[in-house]
Amino acid sequence: MAAVNAHAGIGALWQQRLEKLQEYEVIRDGNIFRTSFRNSYVFASEYEQARQYLDWLITKYRNVPFTTIFSGNELANEGGVCFSLCSYHPTIVKTIDIERFRSEILTDLTLVLGIGEKIERRLKNRGYQTLYDLLQHQKFRMPARQVIECLTYGNSIDLINLIGRRRSRSHPRVLGTAGFHDPEEYVFLDIETLGLFSRPIILFGVGTIENKRLIVHQYLLRDIDEEQAALIATIEQMSGDHPALITFNGKSFDFPYLQDRLAYYGMNRNSQIPHFDVLQFSRSRWRDEFHSLRLCMLEKEILGINRENDIPGQMVPEFYETYLHTNNCGPLIPIIEHNKQDVVSLALLFFRLLNDYYGCC
Amino acid sequence: MTIMAVADIIGLLKQNPVYKKRVVHIDITESKQPQYGTLAAPLNESICRYLDQRKIHLYSHQCDAINYIREKKHIIITTPTASGKTLAFNIPVFESLAINPKARALYLYPTKALSNDQLATLEQMAHFTGINVKPAIYDGDTPQSKRPAIRENAHIVISNPYELHRVLSWHTKWSEFFSCLQFVVIDEAHRYRGVFGSNVALLIRRLLRLCQYYGSDPQFILSTATLANPLVFAERLTSRSFELVDDDGSPHGKKHFVLYNPFYDGIGERSAHQETKDLLVSCVRGDLQTLCFTGSRKMAELITVWARDDLRHVTSCLVDAIAAYRAGYLLGERRAIEKQLKDGLMKGVVSTNALELGIDIGSLDAVIISGYPGTMMSTCQQAGRAGRKGELSLAILVAQANPLDQYFMHHPDKFFARSYEYAIVDTANPYIVSGHMLCAASELPMNDLTDQKFFGDLYIPLQTELASQNLIRQTGHGWVYAGRGRTADAVHLDGIPGETFRIVCNGRLLETMDRAQAYREAHKGAIMLHQGESYIVKEMDLESHTIRVTETDVDYYTQPLKDVSLAILEVLENCTINGVKCAFGDVEVTEQYTGYKIKRKDTIIGVEVLALPPLIFRTRAFWFVPLENIEHKVTTAGFDFAGGLHGTEHAIIALMPLHVMCDRWDIGGLSSPVYGESGEPTVFIYDAYEGGIGLAEKAFEILPKLFETSYELVRDCLCEEGCPSCIYSPKCGNDNQPLDKQAAELILKDLCESREKKDRTEIWDQCLKSIS
Repeated sequence: MAAVNAHAGIGALWQQRLEKLQEYEVIRDGNIFRTSFRNSYVFASEYEQARQYLDWLITKYRNVPFTTIFSGNELANEGGVCFSLCSYHPTIVKTIDIERFRSEILTDLTLVLGIGEKIERRLKNRGYQTLYDLLQHQKFRMPARQVIECLTYGNSIDLINLIGRRRSRSHPRVLGTAGFHDPEEYVFLDIETLGLFSRPIILFGVGTIENKRLIVHQYLLRDIDEEQAALIATIEQMSGDHPALITFNGKSFDFPYLQDRLAYYGMNRNSQIPHFDVLQFSRSRWRDEFHSLRLCMLEKEILGINRENDIPGQMVPEFYETYLHTNNCGPLIPIIEHNKQDVVSLALLFFRLLNDYYGCC
Repeated sequence: MTIMAVADIIGLLKQNPVYKKRVVHIDITESKQPQYGTLAAPLNESICRYLDQRKIHLYSHQCDAINYIREKKHIIITTPTASGKTLAFNIPVFESLAINPKARALYLYPTKALSNDQLATLEQMAHFTGINVKPAIYDGDTPQSKRPAIRENAHIVISNPYELHRVLSWHTKWSEFFSCLQFVVIDEAHRYRGVFGSNVALLIRRLLRLCQYYGSDPQFILSTATLANPLVFAERLTSRSFELVDDDGSPHGKKHFVLYNPFYDGIGERSAHQETKDLLVSCVRGDLQTLCFTGSRKMAELITVWARDDLRHVTSCLVDAIAAYRAGYLLGERRAIEKQLKDGLMKGVVSTNALELGIDIGSLDAVIISGYPGTMMSTCQQAGRAGRKGELSLAILVAQANPLDQYFMHHPDKFFARSYEYAIVDTANPYIVSGHMLCAASELPMNDLTDQKFFGDLYIPLQTELASQNLIRQTGHGWVYAGRGRTADAVHLDGIPGETFRIVCNGRLLETMDRAQAYREAHKGAIMLHQGESYIVKEMDLESHTIRVTETDVDYYTQPLKDVSLAILEVLENCTINGVKCAFGDVEVTEQYTGYKIKRKDTIIGVEVLALPPLIFRTRAFWFVPLENIEHKVTTAGFDFAGGLHGTEHAIIALMPLHVMCDRWDIGGLSSPVYGESGEPTVFIYDAYEGGIGLAEKAFEILPKLFETSYELVRDCLCEEGCPSCIYSPKCGNDNQPLDKQAAELILKDLCESREKKDRTEIWDQCLKSIS
């Protein structure tokens, strides 16, 4: 008897301890002073609503089979199987005025190493209007040539790095380089996870453009062991035909998280891809207008989208865990909807910014 | 000149009428000549030049270490303080890194201060030898912006276990480093004992698991204070087999170890602290560079203040030659004191154990230890600071009034014959192993075939247990962590959650301390000392964890009053042993600071009330209620029942480490002749870790054996009224009072009564076997 029970309770103890590690804080409604802190928060009313919604889902979907609720396919690859959902969304694909963008870049002398805004002004006064003009300049001839070569032969990564280094990584011109890609080459990514780092990704939302429509592929883990298959399905979408990655806060979260999970399963991938983080550009565009730059806030203010039955992203782990423990598929519904809307809003916001800066009127 | 000075002070101690009476024993160790060694093969040329330039001849133990390391053996070095241990491992590490520029080494230090010292040493050696090891510290203070470059470029990374614990989940960023990891150096390894050590042992297994994944198999180099069981300890800590390097070849001069008893007459006119101060002043005035160790941060500051006051009247030029040095000081302050010590400007430094941990200030003329530090290990480390190369040295142990210190004063032979402590590490504590299994599963999927060896026999049962809570889930690629929080945040290596209070004076940060310490030393109205300056606490903001102080100039100090109580929350198990009710369950220990005493020197001049929230700490305990008739038996025999219960508690705590593989400091106890509503006499023994860590639980399963061995310990001890070998505890919160050995013996005997007679020696053999 002792042998069986010797360690009983230890698991529960850890479960308790781990649950105590709140990864978000529930704060009083409208307490916007707290929102300036970096740690994650959920407003009390959102939290209460979500908890009630969870109870409602559990009651409503008790004993309802998975296949009745979700229409999708089982997807198989060398990593195993996972569940794949697909949806189509009308979207306003904007292309940019690439010539205007190119000429703007060509007149940005500060891209040349050694030229700051002051020197640029002086050079322009002396007649050096474009990077090509600088090829005549004794001192800046060589560095200017490198920049032109990068513009002419380089790929978008080199350009992003160049502008990011000389200007800032959130400079609109970094966003503009996305215009060097066809919209069909974009891939929009948003992931839902069991927490902040070092835990499974439970849902991958991947958006691509086909015939001006946005297609959202979602790869869902019906159980934790489907993570590797879903990872493989996701990175297959992210390479080849879709080399340009677009995320919201993905430079700090989604992309390193994805890299980390790939490494966890011993799959190392090239991390050098052109990556446009819409949060960075939103920050420089709207920082002064809104006190919060969360995606759901921006989509409301900018795109006029109001979500119904949405749950705060921070609460996704507890919804998914409820599904795992109870085998009731109800809690998955808002997770999938939330993720889908995130991808759609991300795409809309991206095109909106692109159009605001470099649209062809 | 110094030789004369040391001899003068020893003469003073022997002749001065005040000192003479208090010196109860002088133990003399004769001087020893250096023993040099030979290397199996000559050293790299640049290292030879480095040694020649410093006129260093390698001692025999240093050569042993180098020879072993070159043979790819894991080694543990246990030679004394200041015998050149650091050089003994830095040489072969540099040599290997010079041959293979891709190779990497990880140095683990228990404190940040030690990391900084090692960095300076390594940088100097790298600079001189031209061996480009690019040493760097990577810990909680390393700015984010510098981290990638360190991971990529540093050939020697200096860190601490806490940081390593966090780093392992980011192993992908360290893949280059781990795949080329050739050495793991663990300095001050004796610190990793008991529950903390067991956690570090599992942390090392996680490191080795990642090394296996990245294809490396690092060589371990451990350096420790003298231990009773170095080889077993090293193997438990790292799971590797070791060679021992303990034959010290370094020279030392004639050593005097003085036992000094302010209470020689049984009364003691003044406190041990005042007497410590007198000795310090005499040493400093006699031109001895002196290091004084005290039991608390506060005493370090007070003794400094008093010594400076004395000197102000007699030798004012020496006032600034005395300083306090302790944990909590900011880095810059510590560096300044260390430099002044090396330059000889500083004559006396009063410290807590921050200096015990091998900070490189070289050796001094004299060491004063104010109160027995609790282990022989610490005593030797502290006393080992005395003695410059080949010269006469002096160490003085000043006894406190408590029975433990007094026992040593009355039995000097017992003190000097006392054996070193066992450093116990338990890699089979299910609470600890399960936590690290969760961490491991979040680092890489766990695979039964390759990973079982890291976690031992508990691997399968704990895996089942964790899986039953869905904390790990089986996948085609192994077991994957699937819990909610971050594992590294839930698993604490030393069970101390990091809550920091900031002490601020006019907007300037003076120092930081944890909550318990802040309640003790920085409550409202407390006189806080920092660098010998007095500050009064004006405000303690519990919400923002800020304590505001202002400078003050008072001649008094404060001492907090503490109440400890214990409440049973839930009884989880019951049993009866020889008619005695025993139980195991959840308890809540409450420490309440109720007020503070205001004292001038040794006189109480006032008492103030405090309104601080209690410090509450939940843990698991076992407890028992001795039979009714035993109280009667004890009192009619004329013994003290409360002292008997207290002694029983101490004897059991003394033997727990033998039975449940922990350190004495991992366990707490409380005994009361009238506990709770029923007013029954009760003895509690609890885990000193929030939430409990399985020690009381394991003991509860073997209570009859624990009672029996405890009884035998007390019964067979040859002392008359109790001693450190039986019922005196080095960590008693009540200064070992009251204690009554005869009463304890009766109570313990009763706990074992009616049990079948068993072969005593058999039980003892089993105990000893379990620790070695």
